[in-house]
Amino acid sequence: MKHYSEDDLTLYYYGESRRRLGGGGRDAIEQHLAECAACAHTYRDIAATLAMIETPDVPERGDQYGLEVWQRIRHQLPERGGHGWSAWFRFERLTFVAAAAAIAIVAFVAGRWSPREVAHDGVRLASSTLAERSGERKRILLTAVADHLDRSDRLLTDILNTSASTDISTEQQWADDLLATSRLYRQDAIDAGETSIASVLDDLERNLVEIVHSPSNISAADLEQLRRRIDAAALLFKVRIMSDELRKTQKIG
Amino acid sequence: MVDATESSVVLARARQGDEDAFRALVEQHSRSVFRLAFRMTGNEQDAEDVVQESLLRAYKQLDRFESRANFGTWLYRITANCSVDLMRSRQARHDQSRGESLDAAEQMPAGDLPNPHRLAESAEIQDRVQDALGELSPLERAAFTLRHYEGRSIDEISATLNLGTSAAKHSVFRAVKKLRAALAPLRSQTS
Repeated sequence: MKHYSEDDLTLYYYGESRRRLGGGGRDAIEQHLAECAACAHTYRDIAATLAMIETPDVPERGDQYGLEVWQRIRHQLPERGGHGWSAWFRFERLTFVAAAAAIAIVAFVAGRWSPREVAHDGVRLASSTLAERSGERKRILLTAVADHLDRSDRLLTDILNTSASTDISTEQQWADDLLATSRLYRQDAIDAGETSIASVLDDLERNLVEIVHSPSNISAADLEQLRRRIDAAALLFKVRIMSDELRKTQKIG
Repeated sequence: MVDATESSVVLARARQGDEDAFRALVEQHSRSVFRLAFRMTGNEQDAEDVVQESLLRAYKQLDRFESRANFGTWLYRITANCSVDLMRSRQARHDQSRGESLDAAEQMPAGDLPNPHRLAESAEIQDRVQDALGELSPLERAAFTLRHYEGRSIDEISATLNLGTSAAKHSVFRAVKKLRAALAPLRSQTS
């Protein structure tokens, strides 16, 4: 009687194809196992071992995981397509740098105008002033994001109300500018732990990208698709609610 | 959900160097990349490293990606191979700890073997299984993971790991042999 090797029985356990099993394939092995105690014992042993090895529970990763990964790798991406220095001078990057500089200047000025008694009143006052500065920076961010959302609201409303076969290149340029600013604010929001703001900005950016990359002379079908995307994400609603909330927070603060 | 047409447009843009398009791919595929990386490495931090390295490698190699192919399958292969590379790079550390664990196992008196009640606890069995998986070579572990957890055929394993079918098959066989030997005490206790 020809016995089957451990390797054959492993392939059989995993349901490998007839071609891999050779000979008479699965049927022949099944028949042999019914008749041969030695091979049946080996097979039970293999099956018992492999049955112990359960598929591990993979740690949960949330809906924002892709975004987190992107934030980790985005600065490590090498330049593609030979953009070189010219890429630095693309409009959106200049906008990004200008916006970053504006925030830094405002934060600096806010710091300069904060109370000077810190040096005299010791560590307690120093820490409270640091907290104030941090609060001031956050307030500046919230104001800037609220303004940004209002501008985005106007653009989205324009797009939703535009007619087919209209030239939307002006709106696209506007969307491109908003996109660059939005990325900056989203990163700031993530850094500040404002995940709900980051999430709305993320949704907004996806739609801004679609607007930027649509044909300038937009067809009825493309326009409808754009509108459906915006509606499906309930984007306008989210943008308005978030803007209102930020304004309320500013008033309370 | 990205449909096929949208996906091909996104891919075409990514290949032209459009970072926004690549970002869409990252957001779409990161979780499945992490899932495979975790099963391959068995370690959360290593899996995160593999996710990062795989996506960067994919970005660098986008020119080599054939637009007719499936991006998910292509990325799956990159992830599997990044996992093998990372496990190989950890080999020295692994070898050192293996030496220590073998010494410890040799010194373990028979009375210290886990009793049937403790073995009945699945968590403990899985701990032992993880130890046994840790004893496999990177290639054996990768081939075994693809066969056992991912349900890939020998032909698919061969294509994923860029191995001949014979090498793929024998990597699985060696892994199963080692696991049988390592888990034999558990089987005798539980049976």
